[in-house]
Amino acid sequence: MVLSKLQKINKEYHFFNSIAKSIPKNKFIISAKDAICTKDLPTTAGSQILSNYVPRFDATVISNLKKEGGVVAGKTSQDAFGFGSFNVNVGNDKKIPLNPIDATRVCGGSSGGAAGFTRKLSELHPEIKHVALGESTGGSISCPAAFCGVVGLTPTYGRVSRYGLISYGNSLDKIGPMAMSVKECAKALDIIAGSDGKDSTCIDHEKGFESACGKDIKKLKIGIIKEGFGDGVDKEVVKSVQKAIKQLGVNADEVSLPLTMKYGIPVYYLLAMTEASTNLTKLSGLRYGQEENPSDISFNDYFTSIRTKYFNEETKRRILLGTFARMAGFRDAYYIKAAKIRTLIIEEYKELFKTFDVLITPTMPIIAPTFDEIKKLTPLQHYMMDILTVGPNLAGIPHITVPCGEVQGMPVGMQIMADHWQEKKMIQVADYYERKRDDR
Amino acid sequence: MIDKTKTLIGLETHVQLNTKSKLFCGCPTKSVHTPNSQVCEICLGHPGSKPMFNKQVLTFALRLCKALGCVFAPRIAFSRKTYFYPDMGKNFQITQYEIPLGKNGSIKLKSGKIVQIDRIHIEEDPAALVYDGDINETKSVLVDYNRSGIPLVEIVTSPCMNTPKEAREYFKELLRIIKYVQIFDEKTGVIKSDLNVNIPNHPRVEIKNVSSFKDAERAINYELVRQKVAIKKGNVVMHTRGWTGTKTVMLRTKESEMDYGYIIEPDLPIFSISSEMIESINVPELAHVRADKYIKNLSLDPIDAEVMASDLKLAELFETVSKTISPSYVAKWMRKEFLRVLNYNKKSIDETAFGSPEIIELLEMLQSGTISETTGQRLIELMVTTKISPKEYVQTHKLAQVSNTAELQKICTKVVEENAKAVEDYKSGNEKSFHFLVGHVMRITKGKADPSVVNLIMKKLV
Repeated sequence: MVLSKLQKINKEYHFFNSIAKSIPKNKFIISAKDAICTKDLPTTAGSQILSNYVPRFDATVISNLKKEGGVVAGKTSQDAFGFGSFNVNVGNDKKIPLNPIDATRVCGGSSGGAAGFTRKLSELHPEIKHVALGESTGGSISCPAAFCGVVGLTPTYGRVSRYGLISYGNSLDKIGPMAMSVKECAKALDIIAGSDGKDSTCIDHEKGFESACGKDIKKLKIGIIKEGFGDGVDKEVVKSVQKAIKQLGVNADEVSLPLTMKYGIPVYYLLAMTEASTNLTKLSGLRYGQEENPSDISFNDYFTSIRTKYFNEETKRRILLGTFARMAGFRDAYYIKAAKIRTLIIEEYKELFKTFDVLITPTMPIIAPTFDEIKKLTPLQHYMMDILTVGPNLAGIPHITVPCGEVQGMPVGMQIMADHWQEKKMIQVADYYERKRDDR
Repeated sequence: MIDKTKTLIGLETHVQLNTKSKLFCGCPTKSVHTPNSQVCEICLGHPGSKPMFNKQVLTFALRLCKALGCVFAPRIAFSRKTYFYPDMGKNFQITQYEIPLGKNGSIKLKSGKIVQIDRIHIEEDPAALVYDGDINETKSVLVDYNRSGIPLVEIVTSPCMNTPKEAREYFKELLRIIKYVQIFDEKTGVIKSDLNVNIPNHPRVEIKNVSSFKDAERAINYELVRQKVAIKKGNVVMHTRGWTGTKTVMLRTKESEMDYGYIIEPDLPIFSISSEMIESINVPELAHVRADKYIKNLSLDPIDAEVMASDLKLAELFETVSKTISPSYVAKWMRKEFLRVLNYNKKSIDETAFGSPEIIELLEMLQSGTISETTGQRLIELMVTTKISPKEYVQTHKLAQVSNTAELQKICTKVVEENAKAVEDYKSGNEKSFHFLVGHVMRITKGKADPSVVNLIMKKLV
């Protein structure tokens, strides 16, 4: 029974926040990040405040997969609302998922449950057909995919409908698939991509991603972003990715993204937190969020008490910072300025894509850290983990991470980026690499 | 333009648009009795739902902007206005903050004064809060989300009005315009104004949610007296007040004003407003322009002109009929008789069974003397509720006016013979008795007799 197999894995690794009551036979299973709405299954975005929320509708990505014969098996663990890079900032009532390769290490975040489960399931039950849906705002697909050794695909912003996604930073949020191979990811993207008339930021564009697999890459021009191999990036990780690039067997030029590397982190966090702080206002215990008896207190005090009790520390931090950045008197200096720099960052990428088809960096600067290691990190050090992933996320360009070797027995990810709507090019390169790698 | 030595009054007016569906979802806007029956995951703000912009709202708002001569923004974005209050499922309102749809328009008042329109923008209505009695003593607050997401336009004037009467005139003219450009249904829609009242050299006071032009005038009058007394006592501060219908009451001071922390609404794209789009928006000629034209070109009496221009459908009907029949004759009949019967039946001009062909038929028969005025009045009463051809009706019911002198002479003689008492009374100086005799003839002829002919015959007889 598929169901009991899932339950057994979950007991040990905590990849799921909730699991379906039954799983019909002859269906492929869908595991969805807990921020993606599923009819009749709790959708908590990994938080405690939404633990009672059962949507009355399916997200578009879910209905698309169901149409192809999929069935939702469960909702995967994440940092509450996507606020984290290690999947340790889970809701106060939730368990932290463990890395499928080494349980003393983190899965990475925020789509940690999705990556961990994908890896573990393929290891124990490769016969079960599975599509994992993650979501990335600043790197939440790439990071856990790299840490758990799976493929994670983040599409162009607007490629996949966000209808039914509990928003983190709406102008940055992208739903994408995770799987054991590039081809499986491409196939899943073919199913979930396209406009649905319910998300006005999503538009139709040419698809056929699966057809980009199985090709050579002779005609593609590859750029290597030098900052991705410099200070702050683990030497062993650098070596793994450099070796992988060599295996591609084509010429690659070194390029630079000075503005993105300098301002990417602050711009990303300002914009994402600002948008997040408005998205979360609805969780106040009136219509949404936990409810308690509001007797004898004003609604302001009631809202405050609910939010104080049910949001975790990182959520509170981001609401405070995000609210500050949009307050009168600070708005121009933070929110508006960050939005302007974002435009410059997009231009910086666009300039490179005039010459190059794809750009490559390591996905994460380190391998999956242990739980002990991250206890010592300050919030700022924590945010710096996203240095290589915030760029493509801010620019809204597609990117894919593919496992490329090991350091201390832990997987390393190579990140391949392409211009807007050019998913096929990065899929072509990632798939090519995958075949070269496995030929050994 | 703004005279700082005078009292300054500015208005921010919210108008509910009569589009079929809400601003960001497909729920109907039509008002219904059952609370929370016209709602969906979008207008309730369910986590995961996203807004979709209803383009009809844009067409309606552009119509108003165009009618008021606004300058259009080439691109518009929506913003989130965030605040914690029970009237909104999302706890933020989607509005336009950075770039309004229209800027720098104007409205001309009857006095000739030009009121500057600073901005016009689109936003969503919050839900309605229903209190158990008085707001301050209520034990419970119920929320009806039927209103949540109804499209609004907000029209902001510069503080350029100086008297309560001007504010009233402005409000009234604005109401006439939004009806004229057909974006507002007076029967179901709500229009509300926030009034800013500023006595020179003293802090500005805002009065929230005034919903009629009469109330606007009254509230400002009240406020001016109140402020003058307060100034004497030396305690006027910048603050916000509410209007109870008889007085203004303190709501909050400036210190407790909220910081809405506006951000660009990231779930909606930026919309381009092309010149072709603006071009394609049809705006009818406004009432004041038509009234002027009626006076100048059609030599209409100013009051008739004003009434004929007051409603778009009425004006269009008047103009069509006036092509065939003398405009002042049309105006006289439409104003006196048609509007009287409409008022009596509580109907608007577009809810009747007649159109211009029927009116033309009727007025032609009246003008030629084919039917009497009394018959004309009866026919109008009928026409308002029933589809008839006045001409055919007159024929089949034999309502043509009797002006045949011989026939009327016979009837008059009979009436004089049968009412000797009345004839005596008239001869001894009672005018009323004469009317009694004439009325008797009219009754016998069922109103078909030409009253002028009857008068003449009767005078001779008695």
